[in-house]
Amino acid sequence: MPNRQVDIQPERRKLSVGPLSTGDKWFFRTTTIASNFAFILVALILVFLFAKAWPAIQQQGPAFIYGNTWDVESDPPVMQLGPMIWGSLQVAFLGILIATPMAISAAYAIVFMLPQRLAKIATTLIDLLAALPSVVIGLWGLLSFAPVAANWAKLLNQTLGFIPLFQITGDEPTYIDSPFIAGWIVAVMIVPIITSVTREIFSQTDSGLINGALALGGSRFSVFSRVILPTSAPGIVGGILLGLGRAIGETVAILYVLQLTFDINWYQILEPHGGAVASWILSRFGEATEKEFEGLMAAGLVIFIVTLIINGLANVIVSRAAGRNR
Amino acid sequence: MSKTISRQPWANQSVAGNLDILIGSILPAAISVILAILTGMDFSLALLLIFLPLQLISVCTIAFKRQGARGIKDGLLILFVIFFSATVLVLLVSVLVSVVMQGSAAMSPHFIYQNNKYVSTTTSLEYGGVGHAILGTLIIVSMTTIAAVPLGIAMAVYLTQSNSKLTGVVRTVTQALSGLPSVVAGLFILSFMGFANFERSGFTGALALFPLMLPTVARVAEEALRLVPSDLRLAALALGAPNYRAFFQVILPAAKSGIITALLLGLARVVGETAPLILTINANNSTNLNPFSGGIATLPTFVYGFLGSLYDTSQARAWGAALVLLTLVGLLFGMARILGRAKKTSASKIKKAK
Repeated sequence: MPNRQVDIQPERRKLSVGPLSTGDKWFFRTTTIASNFAFILVALILVFLFAKAWPAIQQQGPAFIYGNTWDVESDPPVMQLGPMIWGSLQVAFLGILIATPMAISAAYAIVFMLPQRLAKIATTLIDLLAALPSVVIGLWGLLSFAPVAANWAKLLNQTLGFIPLFQITGDEPTYIDSPFIAGWIVAVMIVPIITSVTREIFSQTDSGLINGALALGGSRFSVFSRVILPTSAPGIVGGILLGLGRAIGETVAILYVLQLTFDINWYQILEPHGGAVASWILSRFGEATEKEFEGLMAAGLVIFIVTLIINGLANVIVSRAAGRNR
Repeated sequence: MSKTISRQPWANQSVAGNLDILIGSILPAAISVILAILTGMDFSLALLLIFLPLQLISVCTIAFKRQGARGIKDGLLILFVIFFSATVLVLLVSVLVSVVMQGSAAMSPHFIYQNNKYVSTTTSLEYGGVGHAILGTLIIVSMTTIAAVPLGIAMAVYLTQSNSKLTGVVRTVTQALSGLPSVVAGLFILSFMGFANFERSGFTGALALFPLMLPTVARVAEEALRLVPSDLRLAALALGAPNYRAFFQVILPAAKSGIITALLLGLARVVGETAPLILTINANNSTNLNPFSGGIATLPTFVYGFLGSLYDTSQARAWGAALVLLTLVGLLFGMARILGRAKKTSASKIKKAK
């Protein structure tokens, strides 16, 4: 009788891959909690900034982003961040423009030109540049670099002054405190990050592809422009975005070398007018009233959200590019 | 990787060709230096207007002579790569040299151990120093370390050993956090202090550094743990060890130097942070060893404070403190490098032994 045989079959055992001992359970519980701390931290920062910034946001409305007055004496205080946001973008853009050729060249030299030992030293030097504190860069920028860069700015103004970009309207220009110099300082700070991302991506380029191109009669230049650059372009863009995030968040170094004004400076990069949100927060913080303090919190919220989005995007792009090449 | 191009059989070069390159590189430099000295030109001007055009011409000629028209592009590529890389090197060396030169002018034994009580912006350099700021930096940074390092390592463990589907998201958020602008970290703690009724003290400064250190430690520690061959962990598990013992007795010892590297790089990241400390602590001219009350001085805020005034003596103090800070960062960084090298050799030893 087949039916009875079915009845006495043992019950199916539950298979599980979870941790078995209590120690393991606690081990995984602790690490999971710790990893959730990344989310908790982001949430906490958003909540606390938002809580303080809310009165200012409510009162200023959307003009907070694009208006160009900062008057805390009046009642109610007018706080609008337009020139600072534009200035931040301007300085960051200049920094990227200056840093990108340097970073790609350094990465190319490290991966494809230098012998192994020199390449290692060069990598260490680039990492060292990344480790320099921004207050030290600011000190150097103010006292050592700005006088030199002022000469460059003078040269640019005198030879290429007919281009609106390099015009100066003032009578006795000093050539310092300008977005141009701030752009250079930012470039010094973001070169290492773009270099290290680019280096990583370059070193993952398929060497079979390169040797194939060379064997087919390609020259160094054609290999660079047709093989290396196209395959690593997404990674380089990711690295530049990471640099952009860093540039927008840069505070102390820019504060020393840029005159922050609410007289918006659209494109004359040699003029001593400019802006940077992060530096503005720091420069106003000392004498801020309660109301202004709320406005500064709102400014902090703006750069936090912007840099979080940029960095998130950059990291996704970089890890995709790295994964694809592997 | 670096040898793929230069080691190819078709890349062999004749002695005469190398001589061409040597002459082509030295001649423009020599001509421009002589011209610059003779005419008394500004150095950067001479570099831009004489040296670069001359170098361009010489590179093109030699490339054309050696490889014909298609060599010109190669030559230009190499020239620009060298020029821009050299710019990076010059900038780095310029920062280091100016800090060391200017900073050593302020340096003396008492600059290291004295505090700045009774020192104003114009006091001569015979009095006062950064002793209080060094102590303050050490106190604040070690408080941050105590909290951030265990948590960062735990995050790294989660990222490497858990098979949860969330690891990708956690990694992305951690990486995005590592780009957190330092001023935002300061504002965050400032707002928190407002709600929690905290006084400004060294402790709040340490809190402000925490979100900056955590992602760095987590990222580097994750890389260190990833270097340990997974066979080691699987072997431990197969022998009946629970996961936590496999971690503490097998993986952690194997990744020890990598974990210490994570600690050191995290320290190097926060030791020079200025903006969050300006926002969350009060400056102090005398030594304060109590991180829970009163103002406390740190090296970055010391530099920031003295750079505000334009007197020579205060700028010299700023340079001096910057040199001390840079030495600290350099020490941490150098130690991390040495350990990093040791880490790779030990990992490869394990691989070889396999």
